[in-house]
Amino acid sequence: MDDTLEIDNLAVSESEDELSLEQMIEVIEEAWLNEKFAPEILPHKTEIVELLLGQITHMEEQLQQVSSTDFKKGIHQMELDRLKYLVTSYLRMRLEKIETFFTLILKQEQQRTEKNEEPYLNPNEFEFAQEYEQSIKDHFESIMSFCPNVMDTEAQIISPNVNSMIILKSKKNIEGITVDDGNAENNDLIDLTSGSQILINYNSIASLLKNGDVHLI
Amino acid sequence: MFAEKACNLIKELSRNEGVLPPYNMDLVKEVCTEIKLLDEQNKSDGAAVANESGIANYSNELYPTLRVGVAAVKRNVRCLMAYHYNRLRTLRTMRWEFGSVLPPDVKANLNSNEIEWFSKYSRSLTKYMMSLGDEGLNLGVNLRPPKSLYIEVRCLVDYGKYELSDGTVLLLKKDSRHFLPRSECEELITQGVFQHIV
Repeated sequence: MDDTLEIDNLAVSESEDELSLEQMIEVIEEAWLNEKFAPEILPHKTEIVELLLGQITHMEEQLQQVSSTDFKKGIHQMELDRLKYLVTSYLRMRLEKIETFFTLILKQEQQRTEKNEEPYLNPNEFEFAQEYEQSIKDHFESIMSFCPNVMDTEAQIISPNVNSMIILKSKKNIEGITVDDGNAENNDLIDLTSGSQILINYNSIASLLKNGDVHLI
Repeated sequence: MFAEKACNLIKELSRNEGVLPPYNMDLVKEVCTEIKLLDEQNKSDGAAVANESGIANYSNELYPTLRVGVAAVKRNVRCLMAYHYNRLRTLRTMRWEFGSVLPPDVKANLNSNEIEWFSKYSRSLTKYMMSLGDEGLNLGVNLRPPKSLYIEVRCLVDYGKYELSDGTVLLLKKDSRHFLPRSECEELITQGVFQHIV
């Protein structure tokens, strides 16, 4: 995937952003992989998505001006399509997670706001999640309206399996990761060197992943 | 046996994975009646079992009956909710497959609540998509990683004239074959106008 996503200078705008297009693609690719393999929803990357969307529109405009007989046009179009797929797929995966775990995610967001932490959802996603929750609630209420006091709301919460196994690659040297195997007495400690790969349960490294010290593959 | 009908609802779900059978109004109603009867029964049993201060008297002979009754209600409610929830999930998948307009045969199988939910879901989804980027981004396209720029498609219906984004006008006739940019025909494929020839 790496070498196919290179786009030559024609399509890159001379923007004053610190990130070049290539770096942006690297960031979104990593975010996409992380989101794909992590069982729970990760902090949003709205800035980069917005930047990329701007770039995509810009590149599309530029491509319009290239004559359709130009051999290069096809190649650029293909690159553009790949990039679009990357962005849309990333956003779709986030939506899917929001829809599946909406109660839990909204609850956690509430806790984060109370603790003044950065929210994981961006405002638009949050709005979507709330509307989704409301629509599901309304639906259930209309079903159970014949006998209103038997509804068991606690049992409705669907949560991801945060103990699922994932494969990760470390970006720097990290020492002393506690392997959380649910048994508090004999926790193993492991060290990771930069660039090493390991199969581990998600719970143990969730915070490292959110810091960006490791990424999933 | 208690909760047997509710169990049939779940069986119906697992038999029809990925498709939506007609909403089983009769069975749902029967389950609802069972819950209601059981709930009333439980209430009267509960009144008999509890002593003056409202604490259950374990030695009362109705106590086991009450426990079974409560468990049965819980199980029934759970099955009923699972039935409805999973139907919504299927419906949700269909929103991504067919877009905001459902084919009439699917629509005929829904009950009015489900149709209402679908339009609500569709609305929030559109709202979310419109909020992306400067002028909105359709997440319903680019569903698969692009393999090639052009694909071969066969037209399944007499569609008439269709204008491509570069201005060329095509006449789409039934059974005609075209070699088109993938991005141009993705939407027509989901609508069922085109069939992708692999």
